[in-house]
Amino acid sequence: MGSEILIDPITRLEGHGRIHIFLDDDGEVDRAYLQIPELRGFETFARGRRAEDMPQITSRICGVCPMAHHMAGTKTLDDLYHVDPPPAATKVREMVYDAFMVEDHALHFFFLGGPDFVVGPSAPKAERNVLGVIGKVGLEVGKEVIGVRKELRGLISDAAGKVIHPVFGLPGGISQPVSPELRDRFAAGAARAVEFGKFALQVFRDVVLSNREYVDLVTSEAYTHRTYYLGLVDERNRVNYYDGRLRVVDPDGAELVTFPAREYLDHVAEHVEPWSYLKFCYLRDVGWKGFTDGVDSGVFAVAPLARLNASEGMSTPVAQEAYEELCSTLGGKPVHYTLATHWARLVELVNAAERMAELAADPDITSPEVRRIPTETPTEGIGVVEAPRGTLIHHYATDERGLITQANLIVATQNNAARIALSVDKAAKALVHGAEVDEALLNRVEMAFRAYDPCFGCATHALPGQMPLIVEVRDPSGTLVRELRRD
Amino acid sequence: MRTLVLGLGNELAGDDAAGLLAARAVREDLEGLADVVESGASGIALIEELAGYDRAVVVDAIRTSRRPPGEVVELDLSDLGPPVAPSLHQAGLAELAAVAARLGLPFPARTVVMAVEVVDPYTIGGPMSEPVRRALPELARRIRVQVERWRDEDEAGGAVGGVEEQGARLRGR
Repeated sequence: MGSEILIDPITRLEGHGRIHIFLDDDGEVDRAYLQIPELRGFETFARGRRAEDMPQITSRICGVCPMAHHMAGTKTLDDLYHVDPPPAATKVREMVYDAFMVEDHALHFFFLGGPDFVVGPSAPKAERNVLGVIGKVGLEVGKEVIGVRKELRGLISDAAGKVIHPVFGLPGGISQPVSPELRDRFAAGAARAVEFGKFALQVFRDVVLSNREYVDLVTSEAYTHRTYYLGLVDERNRVNYYDGRLRVVDPDGAELVTFPAREYLDHVAEHVEPWSYLKFCYLRDVGWKGFTDGVDSGVFAVAPLARLNASEGMSTPVAQEAYEELCSTLGGKPVHYTLATHWARLVELVNAAERMAELAADPDITSPEVRRIPTETPTEGIGVVEAPRGTLIHHYATDERGLITQANLIVATQNNAARIALSVDKAAKALVHGAEVDEALLNRVEMAFRAYDPCFGCATHALPGQMPLIVEVRDPSGTLVRELRRD
Repeated sequence: MRTLVLGLGNELAGDDAAGLLAARAVREDLEGLADVVESGASGIALIEELAGYDRAVVVDAIRTSRRPPGEVVELDLSDLGPPVAPSLHQAGLAELAAVAARLGLPFPARTVVMAVEVVDPYTIGGPMSEPVRRALPELARRIRVQVERWRDEDEAGGAVGGVEEQGARLRGR
């Protein structure tokens, strides 16, 4: 795969997603995989830098989820410097983080998943876009997506300094307390977000669940993988985005293991394939058995649906009700339907909004005690958060002066990579026979991986155009027999 | 008339910093003429950066592998293809403009994209390539020229500029 990918003038930096399909002697699909470009060089770049700069540095890696990197970095510093933040600092961090989850999920459901679900998989291509979504749900909803998001981002800015590159998390706490005025604004923003979330769930019921065709698609075998699931849970095994222990359930829903973030490397390993930069995470306790699902394969998933599966429910009432509805509608837990991730995203949106409201009402939230100054010598730290796209882990080691000697990030896309590969392979096998590849395959494969929302290398701030995708079909000798480009 | 200079990119990723650095270079010169914003945001999220301005210069890195590294190109919305992005990460300016128009958000009636052809925008901590580094002054100069041209139009009498702006709004939105 060493050849340079040609990027059309209007598709900018992030490169093409490239789907490789290999046929067997009978012209059927032998294997298929998705290759995506990735940022390189982070570890080298980090070496020798001051550990306390990492939350700022890592938030600049990705323009899509800077807050997730900032918070994972901050929590890694707590661990590295062996310091526990005061309760108010922990609560403010979580409240701000929940605001981020809500605004990100809101955007995703309507503007990312929307073309597949709100407009519909069989709608004409010209309508399968954000404008089509707005046309279907109405202008007021479109405005409210932008409006809620604007309000929450304003709150994040006021609490964290900057929304894009927060200057907020410090080892042992945060940079400033929350004033009573800001607390009141968080409470108001949370209330608006809860209402928005309830409304979004109703849109999902009206538009998606009432449509037999959509439900059949969600539950179809092509989008079903019986894998393990990983996510953060609180002390009651409820979903949490900011903190907790990592819990893994097996394809039948039984708990495999629950462990603190610090033990991550004991349970998750990385598999390397020659055809991808991306390392494929798998469960060490189960083992790598190739790109296959089932109880004997260590392939697992992260992100909204995986978090719901890995937990025993939601921490707040409206979200819990929505969670129960999702589970009962889709035949009980764990839910193995990849496309149900969009629904799970809405359940989480409501949960994060309700949790934000709880924290805004907490008497500790305006406490001025938001920092505990570290006094220990730094050594090694691991921090984890649930990013909107799934479990995100930062791992730093330093010398005694706190200069980075080793830094590793395990991002959501990496955790999900093996399962995404399964999805692409399955879609290809269902649709491709011989060298006949058409738009239907592109659309269907896209739907599979869009549910995970993989970051195409944390460098995507694309300007113009559409998602560039190339499909290559090769015969058993490796000769290219068909290429489909959409760029 | 409110003017925005929006520099896009990833400051850590070699050539991808070009848009940010060029915007930073004109910040002082354009004080009072334009707001200069640096952003690593993408897709639909850029609506929030652009909303509220009458016109904008968007400065970014581009990699076509068809132009010599360091070449600066100017594009306008009509060059950027139809609004069909299926992913918010990949949503383009044309799509943003269409979404903003549909939602009735104030969006620049005139947007110029200035992009510099880059070599490697993917390596964190990677060096900026020599051709791109050499192109930065030219990129900055073109931004200044564009913003000053708009100012001159304003000063040449609201009538002509005003009609033109309005026409652009009606056509575009």
